[in-house]
Amino acid sequence: MVKVTIDGKDIEVPEGTKVLQAARLAGASIPTLCHHPLLTPYGGCRMCLVEVEGIRTLQPSCTLPVNQNMIVHTDTEKVRSARKFVLSLIFSERNHFCMYCQKSGGDCELQNCAYVQEMTHWPIAPNWKPFPVDASHPRFVVDHNRCILCRRCVRACGELVGNFTLAFEDRGANSLLIADLGIPLGESSCNSCGTCVQVCPTGAFIDRASAYMGHDDQLDCTPSICSGCSVGCGINVISRENHLLRIEGNWDAPVNQGVLCEVGRFQPLDENRERILTPLVRKNGELKAATWEDACSLIKEKLIPLKNDAGDGVAALASTRLPAEALYLFKQLFVGHLGSSLATGIEEGMPTASPASLAVQISGPFETHLDGLKSADCTFLIGADLTTGHQVAGFFIKRNLPKGASLIVVDPGPNGFDQHASLSLKPVKGTDCDLVTGITAAILKSKAMKEVQPAGSTIIGDLELAAKTTGISTRLLQAAADLLAAAQNPVIVYGKGITAQKSTDVLKALVKLRDLLDLSNGNHTGLIGVKGEANSLAASQYGLNLPFELNSQRAVFLALGDDYVNQRLIKRLAGVSFLAVQASYRSPVTDLADVVLPVETWNEQEGHFVNLEGRLQKANRAIEPPEGVISNLQALQLICDALGFQPDRDWKEPLFRQPAAVELFEN
Amino acid sequence: MAKPKISTDWMAGCSGCHMSLLDIDERIIKIAELVDIRATPITDLKEPDESGVTVGILEGAVNNTANEEVAQRMRQRCKVLVALGDCAVFGGVPAMRNFFSMDEALRRAYVETESTDSEGKIPTDPELAVPTQTRALNEVVPVDVFVPGCPPDPDVIFYVLSELAMGRKPELKDDLLHWH
Repeated sequence: MVKVTIDGKDIEVPEGTKVLQAARLAGASIPTLCHHPLLTPYGGCRMCLVEVEGIRTLQPSCTLPVNQNMIVHTDTEKVRSARKFVLSLIFSERNHFCMYCQKSGGDCELQNCAYVQEMTHWPIAPNWKPFPVDASHPRFVVDHNRCILCRRCVRACGELVGNFTLAFEDRGANSLLIADLGIPLGESSCNSCGTCVQVCPTGAFIDRASAYMGHDDQLDCTPSICSGCSVGCGINVISRENHLLRIEGNWDAPVNQGVLCEVGRFQPLDENRERILTPLVRKNGELKAATWEDACSLIKEKLIPLKNDAGDGVAALASTRLPAEALYLFKQLFVGHLGSSLATGIEEGMPTASPASLAVQISGPFETHLDGLKSADCTFLIGADLTTGHQVAGFFIKRNLPKGASLIVVDPGPNGFDQHASLSLKPVKGTDCDLVTGITAAILKSKAMKEVQPAGSTIIGDLELAAKTTGISTRLLQAAADLLAAAQNPVIVYGKGITAQKSTDVLKALVKLRDLLDLSNGNHTGLIGVKGEANSLAASQYGLNLPFELNSQRAVFLALGDDYVNQRLIKRLAGVSFLAVQASYRSPVTDLADVVLPVETWNEQEGHFVNLEGRLQKANRAIEPPEGVISNLQALQLICDALGFQPDRDWKEPLFRQPAAVELFEN
Repeated sequence: MAKPKISTDWMAGCSGCHMSLLDIDERIIKIAELVDIRATPITDLKEPDESGVTVGILEGAVNNTANEEVAQRMRQRCKVLVALGDCAVFGGVPAMRNFFSMDEALRRAYVETESTDSEGKIPTDPELAVPTQTRALNEVVPVDVFVPGCPPDPDVIFYVLSELAMGRKPELKDDLLHWH
């Protein structure tokens, strides 16, 4: 610990702490502009200058580490006048006229800084040089005239997202934020995650959807969980008068620490499907508005005769984006009460069934937490493209690459991460098991270790054989083995390409590879399955894991929520004699239905979600639903009531009952 | 002691700051009890007394030779000069034209505007004031008190006027300091 005196107050802080953090701990308020708690200190804006006894000039506190017995003054006349001067320079550099900026009025960190310094005017007249405005991006606009060159966006793009799209060209007053090598942002390598918009302290990044819609103090902010995929990022839903304006990453969320991808931040704003506002019942071939009583009694009339008719009874399908509460009620209603032999999730267990069965076979979890990715020095990515889904997990991988981390991508087809990979392996389809066991054998050989067979395993790998079946040269396979063997904190990430295979052989081979790496480097090697939708894992824990293979079922119930359906499912449902759907939006599948129940969307209902690492998190209601629309849970409860069934409301205990691929825990 | 005299004038502005001044409503009676309101654009007297006033208040930026005269005359005739509103303090909306050349600005205003017919032309009468770069008031004459805001809130204006009436220098900070 190091002892420092800040404004006369003695405090002890760990060595390496920056003066800014120490001062804030000591209760001093130091203004900052370029500083952001999650980004590397940059010392660019000079707002945080402090006086340190024994040092001739004022020092930027954000980059200055504390020294033993350092004496710091944060609020002297010299410091105050320097801060005012710094602000005068910033205001003189570009167009910072507040009266035509949408950030003005409380949301602009630059303006707020000036208020704190009690600046009533600009002592230095502005430089009237116009800078370009880049409006080429569909989600946001960059007005370079508002830029203060703090480089928060550049650091966020590189350090948090790992995308490195943004940079600066030129020097001094001519410095200009550029995308790639100076092309319009909309045509660049930008992945539209919007983190730059969220970190910008001024009005240089303008969010198209929410600009001019109100200041932060006029808006409602509801912390919640993104339902875009199984990563389960923490979000803040920003709304005004019950209208969704934008979604921001929650800096305090343990999963994503503020970072979101385009799917989470922007895509919910694109929603333009037609909302269903009343229950609908088919009469004379046409869907007509009906009361909840009529709709539920029709469902009751159709379902009661099918009770306990396993073969020809009712089949039920639930979106794996529904909250755990609704999924558990769904399971009890259709499996427990109606005795259906075909109640499953809309993903049909593709991302979860085989890991779940392996967890049961080896009676325990075998996967690790997402945090491992943040410190991984080698990632073995197999059967998953993290540029099309689960992107935030991909950001964790990409941000480590410039630090020297290696990346091995295994995918028979093209993968968005191929361009970033140290090694991109393209095995012949269906030969993943040979590839993994081959690499394992190569590591064993190079480490001169004896093969340790997990109990019950009969997989024996061979590098030559792997090269023959996968079509990948022994040289490349050996290179992959060498990268993994050399790593201190390797992480294996697998996706649908692996879990969609019925056999658990590849999974077993991956577990074996992990165990071997654990033994050889003495560290904990990560093994992460990316799963699928926001609540895939909860659905799997409730046993909603079966392939949806319709035989002669006479009725189908689809709890769709606000999810989408694919053409294949629509085709399969076309011939069903009775179809009931609970859905938020009109779709080809509601057009097919005999009864439609209107339900709430992701931001209207509350409930629990289990993310890919087993973290149980609660999503909250940010928007009041339209009148007459109820939650997925309430809709299922109405059907239970109609059938006279009283379900168990404790959804949590059954969630933890089965061993899962990863240990479930509460956030 | 005689009441302090106050005079106001406007330059390149929208008169919104004077509107906001009137928005202090019945409090203007209190101000009138404390000060002698002399020349303003909204009273009959149009020029500040040659004998001088205590407080001179100017709205608007300086963007032509006529405004320069107004600014200099007020500076000469008042003891305390107040820049009222974002245009006088920073340059404000009229300063947008500084990002273009004077030629571009004039062509846009008199020739290319959607409401101008094909006969549009830039006025050149020698009696007209000559446009200059738009400047904040303090770039032309020394300013004593800055009251930013677009427009400044009536409460802020009332605070400033009452402080000046009592012979004190208003200090704008915290809730009283807003730029827009």
